[in-house]
Amino acid sequence: MSQTTDGALSPYSAIDLTDEIGALSTMVLAGLGVDVIRVEPPDGHPSRQRGPMLREDQDSSLYWAQMNAGKRSVILDLDIEADRERLGTLCENADFLFESDAPGAMAERGLGYADLRDRAPQLIYISITPFGQDGPKSMWAASDLIGHVSGGLSSLVGDPERAPLRPSVEQAYNITALNAGSAAMIALHARNLTGRGQHIDVSMQAAMANTLGNARLYWEMDGIITKRAGGARAFADRATRIIYPCADGYVAFVRVPASIHSLHRWMTAEHGDPQFDAEYWANIPIAGDRTPSSEEVAELEAEIEAFFSTRGAQALYESGQQFNVMICPVNTMQDIVGSPQLAARAFFTEVDDPALGHLKVPGAPLKMSATPWQSHPAPTPGQHNYEILTPANQSQTERV
Amino acid sequence: MSSNEIPGAHLFDGVRIADFAWVGVGPNATMQMAFHGAEVIRVESTRRPDTFRSGGPRPAGDHSLDASSYFAKFNRGKRSVAINLAHERGAEVARRLIASADIVTESFAPGFMDRLGLNYEEVRKIKPDVIMCSMSMEGQTGPHAKFRGFGLTLQATAGVTGVTGWPDLPPVGTGVAYTDWVATHVAIIGILAALDHRRRTGEGQYIDLSQFEASTLVLDAGVIDAANTGRVARPLGNRDRRFAPHGVYPCADDHTGSDRWIAIAVTSDDQWRRLALIMDRQDWLESDELCHTAGRLAAQDALDDGITRWTSQRTVDEIEQELQAVGVPAHRASTVRDAHEDPQLAHRNHWWKSDHPVIGEMSYESPPWRLSATPPPMPRRSPLLGEDSEYVYRELCGYSEAEFHQLMVDGVVE
Repeated sequence: MSQTTDGALSPYSAIDLTDEIGALSTMVLAGLGVDVIRVEPPDGHPSRQRGPMLREDQDSSLYWAQMNAGKRSVILDLDIEADRERLGTLCENADFLFESDAPGAMAERGLGYADLRDRAPQLIYISITPFGQDGPKSMWAASDLIGHVSGGLSSLVGDPERAPLRPSVEQAYNITALNAGSAAMIALHARNLTGRGQHIDVSMQAAMANTLGNARLYWEMDGIITKRAGGARAFADRATRIIYPCADGYVAFVRVPASIHSLHRWMTAEHGDPQFDAEYWANIPIAGDRTPSSEEVAELEAEIEAFFSTRGAQALYESGQQFNVMICPVNTMQDIVGSPQLAARAFFTEVDDPALGHLKVPGAPLKMSATPWQSHPAPTPGQHNYEILTPANQSQTERV
Repeated sequence: MSSNEIPGAHLFDGVRIADFAWVGVGPNATMQMAFHGAEVIRVESTRRPDTFRSGGPRPAGDHSLDASSYFAKFNRGKRSVAINLAHERGAEVARRLIASADIVTESFAPGFMDRLGLNYEEVRKIKPDVIMCSMSMEGQTGPHAKFRGFGLTLQATAGVTGVTGWPDLPPVGTGVAYTDWVATHVAIIGILAALDHRRRTGEGQYIDLSQFEASTLVLDAGVIDAANTGRVARPLGNRDRRFAPHGVYPCADDHTGSDRWIAIAVTSDDQWRRLALIMDRQDWLESDELCHTAGRLAAQDALDDGITRWTSQRTVDEIEQELQAVGVPAHRASTVRDAHEDPQLAHRNHWWKSDHPVIGEMSYESPPWRLSATPPPMPRRSPLLGEDSEYVYRELCGYSEAEFHQLMVDGVVE
């Protein structure tokens, strides 16, 4: 328990039975001080095998290190009655249980909410599934990709001449997990009023459906189906380009009428010539109320692209922002690691991981003045068996 | 603790939020608390209206600040007070409101609240145990603190855009202000954690939420990998590092007028055999190479070609039913209309109706979670700009009727 003395949520504990769809929810709670107990099967949690790996060997998962930071680990074999009973005992003293099994699977093992409610009335039991606990698709097979497309977001993502797209990191899983964290906090507030926990049913499809911006509203109000528009903001039946190439990558720049003259001031300053293309910019079609023709837009975008193409993304960010131009770099992961902004805010921190050694890790996703975020390493399998299970209550598998 | 039942509508009774935040992240976060009874007061002004009040969609031809359904979506269950913060007496009104509040939220560019004399140090003098949450693009400190942006561009700064695209084409990003839906939940979790800490200790605090930093959470191992190995994750189209076949494939025209695509994600060898059986591909079933993931990952191009030929001959309904019947993960790439009409979301009553005097009846999202004991009721509609001004000035800020009218005449209430 020494890890969790100063966080905003340090009085609380959580049992974490989730798969990849839920790991982030408990990671965030752990950073805020919740004592999160990761329950792993005897051969370790499957996501320990998931890359990227720090070393050549398959026992150095950086995915595990990131998504399970600050948690403790206990090994229980939930196929064994004695270990199911040990889990039940842990639940009696826990505030949260997070699980992501198929609907009904926990109940089959006698570990459903209805099974634990009388024994652990204070317990907030969070079930995270692709479609929810009941309904016509509740038993459908799914994955991150299925979550992504079923909420509708992929129809807004990607190049129009190719297939709808998902981001190449598992957004549906991670957004869903963050939603589960919000729900758990609301239920905690309720529990502290009433003394009673409850069951929370989180749907990945619904979490993704809530990311549609105003596109679904355009369907309901105007009958317009917004479609993916590549590196552009699709807006009902229009699209405004956002992504532009630059000398060493890409930048994101939103061309709104209010910023067009800022852009021109910036370009003339960079060119050192106040008359730079003055005639063109004096009559720029985008600045007024008139909707520019597609030829006019293409001409303007070519002008912007020519300017961006001679400069690097970070340099464009630094200089464009000085002119109040809404521009930013399309950062790679390495750019994020090297960000001067993150460095100035001491975002990255270091931990000594028991399995991976010294690691540089992303730190606080929010800075709380009285109860700062806590960065701790992820556990090794069963690292905390002894402290979590009383000697009389040791797991069969742990004693082997 | 008492064992009284508390209806979901009243979980946050007695909690008041002075909500100076605008656009997406802040309003979305405080709305979840408004659903459960928190009194959320949006501080607004006609001079500097929330960007979403000018956005769409809106009833045809209505350009008024009360006609945006996009604003309505993020502000259900709240009140609105008009305070012209540019007026010299505006800050005084804001200070009185803050004195009555438990939580102050804001999402202006850093420096704006300082200029009003309403930064955390000042706010805590008014209300010592206040919880204040600032939600700017890149945080309150650092060389980029005052850089401008919003969700559409921030997702590029935060790394989401760079991993969204095809390997042979420029990255595209998500097309929506994606990070808004990430930072929202970090804000909710943080604010409610701070509220719980205050309940137990009496201590308030300041939360400096950088939407950039919060959004790196959803990159899962991307950042830690780059920080420790120098490797940089690249966009993979719809492919996956671990699974194959894994993609979104074209379907036959189903005469609905929609662009039809089916996502298929084979995540186990067993699912692979069932897919090959359904597709009647004996050659695939008999292949020693394809019966394990590494072999399928190596053969992705050929697998995608074969699957595309098969899906192109079938409607999306047929493929969904056939594959789900045997447990192969498959789902149409839902359009916004599909999401609106989705039978599963309908089963969950996901789209909540809300009537509005200017916008009319529209449906808006509910939370993607169901609470068994304390579900929220459907919330009140979003407020008109300044709709609750008289209530806030008189009841919460303590101005007399005469003072309120003078503030109106002076242009503070606008």
